[in-house]
Amino acid sequence: MKNLLARTRLDRRDFLSASAAAMSVAATGVVPKVAFGAEKTVKIGFLAPLTGAVAAWGKPGLDGCQIWADWVNDAGGIKVGDDSYKVEFISYDNEYDPGKARAGAAKLIKEDGVKFIMMLGGDTWPGVQPIAENEGMLVSTLLPSDLTPNTKTLIAPCEVHPIYNVTGVEWLAANKPDAKKAVICAQDDALGKPSVATYLAAFEAAGIEVVDDPLFFDPATTDFAPVMTRLLSTNPDILCLDTCYADYVHPLCEQAFQQGFKGTIISCTADFYPKIVEKTSKEFMEGFIFQFPDFDDPALNQPGVNFPKPNEFYAEYAKRYGEAEWGAVSWEYASIMDLWADAAGKAGSVEPADVLKAMKEGGTGKHAFGDAKWWGTELFGIDNALVGNWPVVVIENGKAVIKEFRSIPDWWDKHKDLMVKHMTALGQMWNQRG
Amino acid sequence: MSRGKVNPWLWVAGIVLLATLIALPFGLSFSQREVAVLLVINVLLVSSYRLMTLTGEWSLGHVVIMGVGAYASALFSKRLGVPVPISMLLGAVTAGAVAALLSFPLFRMKGFYFLIGSFAAGEVIRLIWKYFTNPFGGPKGLKLIPGFPDIGPISFFEPLPYYYLCLIVVGMSLFFLYRIERSRIGLTFHAIHWQDKLAESVGVNTFSYRMLAFVLASTFAGLCGALYVHYIGTINPNRFDVEEMVFVLIWAIVGGTATFYGPILGVVVLTVINEVILRALGFDTARPMIYGFILIASVLFLPNGLESLVPKLQAWRTSRRTAPEGTPASEEKA
Repeated sequence: MKNLLARTRLDRRDFLSASAAAMSVAATGVVPKVAFGAEKTVKIGFLAPLTGAVAAWGKPGLDGCQIWADWVNDAGGIKVGDDSYKVEFISYDNEYDPGKARAGAAKLIKEDGVKFIMMLGGDTWPGVQPIAENEGMLVSTLLPSDLTPNTKTLIAPCEVHPIYNVTGVEWLAANKPDAKKAVICAQDDALGKPSVATYLAAFEAAGIEVVDDPLFFDPATTDFAPVMTRLLSTNPDILCLDTCYADYVHPLCEQAFQQGFKGTIISCTADFYPKIVEKTSKEFMEGFIFQFPDFDDPALNQPGVNFPKPNEFYAEYAKRYGEAEWGAVSWEYASIMDLWADAAGKAGSVEPADVLKAMKEGGTGKHAFGDAKWWGTELFGIDNALVGNWPVVVIENGKAVIKEFRSIPDWWDKHKDLMVKHMTALGQMWNQRG
Repeated sequence: MSRGKVNPWLWVAGIVLLATLIALPFGLSFSQREVAVLLVINVLLVSSYRLMTLTGEWSLGHVVIMGVGAYASALFSKRLGVPVPISMLLGAVTAGAVAALLSFPLFRMKGFYFLIGSFAAGEVIRLIWKYFTNPFGGPKGLKLIPGFPDIGPISFFEPLPYYYLCLIVVGMSLFFLYRIERSRIGLTFHAIHWQDKLAESVGVNTFSYRMLAFVLASTFAGLCGALYVHYIGTINPNRFDVEEMVFVLIWAIVGGTATFYGPILGVVVLTVINEVILRALGFDTARPMIYGFILIASVLFLPNGLESLVPKLQAWRTSRRTAPEGTPASEEKA
């Protein structure tokens, strides 16, 4: 054995040559990524920020998709017509930059041959839009504010941001009737403004007074002490953190804690909230309202919820990546894949146009939180957003708990004039953007 | 070598480089061509930044000035219907004009104060873009910006034609920048950098020359913005934030700023590593960490930048040529 080892030992020159060869082979993409024998494989593009300030809304989603793909592939793939397809995700980190998103879309469509692209959207969508439209590629976004009458192949099939935020405010008004004064802050960007308009409409509908103008801070802000001091100067009952990124929600909560805020905090997201609880206290975070549940919640097992095996999905996610890594988007892209796979099955094809047609057939779809309808003409100029129920989540004893599912369309039917008023005032209607 | 005579090997090297740049896209994948377009634009961006640094002032507002050119060109073409090639030139001129205006407050400062002042001025411009939804589109910016018009069957939406367009524009701009540096004006920039009081004592108006460097650099930065915006078709204030500026600084520092080619080496090497090699190796999410490691390593082991390798390489080649018989170098040669 010793002789064998001696005979096969590499010298430094061999090692360097072999390493260089291996690197160049890998760099030229000659190595097959995943081999599935003779079975058919459909490639799905994942074009989202995986690094940088917005990575919290990309990377956990890709991790969730990997679980989804493993489960689907282990079960034999998705059935499309007479064929079974394994699913392979091809990711590209767009760093939330439209130029890189364009390069990524070109790679995914022209080189990788993907049949569907999932994006976070926002600033990156306009960079992708021309190439997606030219190629007829079906693309999903988590931000329906990307939708316009011209975006025929863009869909928002999971998250109708920020409209679902109305359900949190509605629940707050019903369960904490003494809370009557609110303040709002948000980063001054494409995510912040429509969300502020939504919260303003929801507070007005709920009879809650917003006691100061919404405070827009620059996305480059790192010191949140003055922001919080200004917010708390009016002694509000409700502190609304709008759709702040995780990088802002955490320091804002810390500042609210340090500056002695005693009221209720409401926010669109609370990604990695156990870390906020650690930095503040369970007592401080008690009653924190947001919109994104942990999927170990038993409420997700009730009839009507379409996301398959949510508790097992959460357990697997926690096992692979850690419980503290669970975020708002961990399940969202996977739930979009459920919808896509269902539509591909119905269409008997994985081609983008066929899948889109099958997806929108009958005007309804199976949203993760229940059956929903394709909607949006009044707000986005096109019915490409799937809207239905959405959960209201509250932190109790350091853990997120679903308190209720509320209907977004019901709220819309009663208060749509308020929403349109505030969206218009902030220049967020589809015909006012860009 | 006497002035006016050029080493024939430089001509050969220049022709080889030109041929390589022309042939390059045909060796690239479609998405790598997209990266090549952005790289060519960034070459001009970082080279124009170097012109600014010749007078000794480092700015944190160069990327915002690029944005001024981009916004101006986008607005001229989208809102006023100006043909895109003309709007690009107008965008560059607007960036130069804004720089001229900023010169008056900024060049009351020097060194670190100028650096901070340029950052503040850039932030004011970015806030204006965010605040005034009309005409700048607010935080979401502008989209569906007209592209460079097609010429017959040539569509500039495709990366290949746009690469060549950028190559021509950037090549001409680099030539212009090079000639400026080699002219009396460029020598005066250097003089102001190293001995500004002495330069003043012999009658050089240092304010005017600093302003000239700033305006020229900004005009080319504005041209970069115009080239970028009519290719990508969208623009928003976050695209020109200080994080983007840090990348320009990194390209300049890693490449070195003592020579004309130093920053170009920096942007080319770092972009190829970050956008091509690391992506191809599947290090998508680890790229910032590896990039940071490369930066630390380059600062530690190449404090004078990548450009410092070139004279070392030349010295090594010379020593090989001139090594006497019997030395290791001559044996290796044999």
